[in-house]
Formats: sequence, C-alpha cells, structure tokens
Amino acid sequence: MELKPIIEVKDLHFSYKKSQILCGVDLHLFKGEVVSLLGPNGCGKSTLIKLILKLLYGKGEILLHEKSIEEYSHKEIASHIAYIPQYHHVPFGYSVLEMVLMGRVSKLGIFASPSSHDHFIALEALKKAGILGLKDRIFGQLSGGQKQLVLFARAIAQEVDTFIMDEPVNGLDYGNQMRLLEFIDELSREGYTFLKTTHYPDHALLISSRTVVMNGGKIISDGKPGEVITAPMIQDVYGVNAEIITHDAHKRCIPIFR
Amino acid sequence: MTMLHFLFDRTKENRYLAVGTVLLAAIAALSLLLGQYPIDFHTFMAYLNYKIYGISDIEIDTLALIDNIILEIRLPRILLAILVGAALATSGAVFQAMFVNPLVSPGILGVLAGASFGAACGMLISEQWFIVQALAFSFGFVAVGFAVLIGSAGANSRSTVMLVLGGVISGSLFTSLLSVVKYVADPYSVLPAITYWLMGSLSIAQLDEILLVSIPILFSILGMSFMGKYFDLLSLGDEEAKSLGINVKLIRIVAIILATLASSLSVVMAGIIGWVGLIIPHIIRMAIGPSNRLLVPLSAIFGGAFLLLADAVSRLALSVEIPIGILTSLIGIPIFIMVLKNAREAWN
Repeated sequence: MELKPIIEVKDLHFSYKKSQILCGVDLHLFKGEVVSLLGPNGCGKSTLIKLILKLLYGKGEILLHEKSIEEYSHKEIASHIAYIPQYHHVPFGYSVLEMVLMGRVSKLGIFASPSSHDHFIALEALKKAGILGLKDRIFGQLSGGQKQLVLFARAIAQEVDTFIMDEPVNGLDYGNQMRLLEFIDELSREGYTFLKTTHYPDHALLISSRTVVMNGGKIISDGKPGEVITAPMIQDVYGVNAEIITHDAHKRCIPIFR
Repeated sequence: MTMLHFLFDRTKENRYLAVGTVLLAAIAALSLLLGQYPIDFHTFMAYLNYKIYGISDIEIDTLALIDNIILEIRLPRILLAILVGAALATSGAVFQAMFVNPLVSPGILGVLAGASFGAACGMLISEQWFIVQALAFSFGFVAVGFAVLIGSAGANSRSTVMLVLGGVISGSLFTSLLSVVKYVADPYSVLPAITYWLMGSLSIAQLDEILLVSIPILFSILGMSFMGKYFDLLSLGDEEAKSLGINVKLIRIVAIILATLASSLSVVMAGIIGWVGLIIPHIIRMAIGPSNRLLVPLSAIFGGAFLLLADAVSRLALSVEIPIGILTSLIGIPIFIMVLKNAREAWN
C-alpha cells in the first residue's frame, strides 16, 4: 500500500512491575480502516491502546502521522485521535450537552468558554449519534447504551477522523451492542478510521476491515478477519472449540460444546 | 432558531453572574449604611458629595464621624468579608473539582489548620506581615499535601472517604502543633492575640493590609475562575482528561497552589472561618448544576455575599459580637445537614 499509515507502532515493549505486558508489538492503522484488536484478558490490548494515546510510556516507537508520539502534547494528540472509553460512572451531575462540550475543550484558548460554534458542533454530534433528544438529561441517569452513545458524540465533537475505542460494547445488552456496531460501520463508511479492542470474534467478523490477534503481549496474526479468525486460532487463543460458518457470504463464529 | 437557542444558553450564564454581582453590591451597600450607628441615605449622599466635590450641607463634625465610621470601620470590614468569603468558597469549589470529591473543602483538607499553624509560628518569630503570610501558605500547602498522601495510601486512590480521612488526620496534626505554639507563646501578649484571631474576626485588619492581601487573593480567584472548563474534564478521571487534550498534572498543581494560596491568606486575615468552603459550592451546584465554568465564579460571588451577610447579622442582631468563625459554623452546620439530604442527587 502506498498510503502512509495514520498510526505506526514499531517494536513496542512495555512492562509493569517487572512483568512483561508487551514484547515487540508492530501495528499499522491506515485511513478508513476498522481494525479490531482481539485477544484474551491480559494479553495487552488495552495497554497497547493506552501507549498509543500516550497515557502510558513504553519502549519502542509509536508514530502518529509519521512523527513520534513523544513530540505531541496531549492537546495535539486530541486534535488527531478521539478516545472512546467504556461508559462509566461520572461524579457530579453533568448534562449530556455538557459532556459532549468537553470534547471541545482542547480546541479552546486558556481563557475561552465554549462559543455558540462549539455548541453547534456539539448538537450536530448528538444529532449524528441519534440522541439529540437526550441533550438536557443528566449523563449519570442514562442507560449504558445511551451513555456509550454520548461518549461517541463527544468523540465526534472533537472533529477528528480517527477513533480509538476500548471495548466499546462492554456491558451493553444485545440490542445496544448491535446498534453500536452498526453505528461504527456507518461512521466508517463516512471515512472515519477505527481501532478498537473487542472480546467478541463475531464482532470482528461483523464490522472490521482488518483483525489483529494478540496473545501474551505479542501479535500473533494480522489480516482480513475471515482469514485470521479460524477455528484453530479460537482454540489456541481462547481454548474454545468453535466452528467458523459462512452464511450469505458472511462468516460467523459458532462455539461448540463437547 | 437554533442560533437563538445558543445565545440564550450563553446569556443564561452571564445572567447568573450579573444577578449575583448586583446582589453582592446591594448587600455591601446596605452593610455600609447599617450598624450601631445607622447612616441614612440622605446623609450618605451628602457625605459622598463632600468627598467628591468638597461641598456639603451637614455639619463638619458629623462628616468627620461618618468618614471615620465608613473608612476606618465598615469599608475594611466589608471588603475583608467579601474577600475572605470569596476566597474560601472558590477554594472549596476548586478542591472539590480537583479531587473529584464533593466532601472536601479547605477546612476538611486541613489547609486552614495548616495555615493557622504557619501563621501562628510567623507571629511567634516575626512582626513582619509577609513572613506570617508566607508561613501560612507554606504550611497550608504542606497540610493539603499530607492529606492527599494519607488519602492515596489505600488501594483505591480515588476513594472519597480516604481523602476526607486524610484531611481529618492532617487537620488534627496541625491543630495539635498549633497547641504547641500556643503553649510556648507569651500568655500575656501573643497567646491572646493568636486565640482571638483564630476564632475568626473581620475587625482586626486595617484597610491598607486588606488592599495589599487582596492582590494575591483576587489573582487566585480570577485564575481559578478561568480554569473551570479544565476542572470539568478532571471529573472524568485522569486518563480520559488527558485523552481530551489537557495537561492534567499542570492543571492539578496550579489549581492546588491557587486554592491553597487563597484559603491560607484568608486565615492570615481573618482566622479560621469554617464551612463556607463546603456549603457555598454545594448550594450553587444544586441550583445550577456541576459545570465548573459557572460554579467557580459564582462560588466567589456568593461566598463573599454569604460572609458579608453573616457578618451584618452578627453586627445588627446581637448586642455582643460573636466571632465570625463561630457564627459561620453555627449557620453552616444546619445548612449542610439540610443540603446533605439532597446532595447525593447532585453528585450522582
């Protein structure tokens, strides 16, 4: 591919309290891709994401638009990448609109308050996420699915084209999981780029353009989801007996109990 | 249509600030006229006329008396009440945002105890006002640092209760140390001075001292007021705040320094005045929501108004003057108990 990657990770190592979490990770993220990071608990997926966002410091090279992440301030990273965490408890009763406006803070001067333009962007983001009607509700009182959409809207309000997500569907019911995946799919068609961790091989098969499988702090395979997610891989990484079936040209992962 | 809505939203913020400022000015004006020796409006205008144009239709003796009452007694007291109330309430709001903990205040974090220990040491060793202030600020800072250190010792470093406990421990430590200072202080001169000052009083300070100390206090309050949007991000947790583009460490340090500076200097000027830093931000948060962009400046305005009102009540309603620190506790505790019932809603 001739395109330069948005994010390029080279030979990344990270250890925490003498235990090696990542040992030599290489990863690329190109514009327009939806990359799913798959792997068991503790394989280093979340660590990798935090390192890319400069929330942790490791050994190795991380390039954002061909420049080392070290040279970026958090403010500058926030103007390229939006991080969408798992929905969580927020103390103090911020309204949904206030939460989304927080995505605009990195664009404001030290003494500035959000302008009517910032409000406009925030409301447009809420509209895009389909939750404009919730704008005056208290964030803490929303359902998990609604909260996750608010965090999406906040990322959209950051006006960046790359989203990094840590288990975006965790804790959501089946309906909300599917709606959220569909929403990611829609956004990716508009040109947004996604790097997300997931626990579900099926979700990787559903919406990703590329799947990266991690185990024990290493990347063990990287390629098209249909080629990477195989019965032996599921057995090897998760210790689960599964079958990959094809339905209407779409692959699905079906666990089989013995 | 939508444009108009934004305008309305923006003006709503400004309207709160405007209403608060007008209210504060009104209470200040009333306090200037009312007291043991009430000054009626006509006399006051005549006095102003005299001050500005040098002409007046009232006797020169009366004018001299009014001049004395206003400039020497009431004005310093009013300015100090506003300054101290604003400093404490703003610091309270900022500490609450900083530690993402609605239960902390300069009093609870031990800042007031630390600052009073520092100031008392300063009084013991020096007559220099600057040394007293510098020591008050230094030990206020040490006290909050100690509270945070104890509070983060447990497994859950963001535990609300642990930080409050840390503050209680830090506060008790510096209260004990303060007792040591009192014990060694000269019982005929320094000890009574320290004791009365610590009970909280707005009547000791002189106008020139107040104007001098108002510079760093106003600077801190203004600084904190502009940091509101960053404080909002801190309530999301450090990692998320960083990912949204702010320098978490720098903001924490600057905010803690400013809040400690403002509350420590309030101790130097007026002794320990408790509860203002806890209840004012709470009441405002319940009224307008948690957004710190508005909460911090409104805390300054209403903190000032509250202390001014409390002082006015103590001057007008009671024949003996109760130290203001005791009065704010007496008013603050029942208010806090009332607020506490509804507060959970405002936090969650």
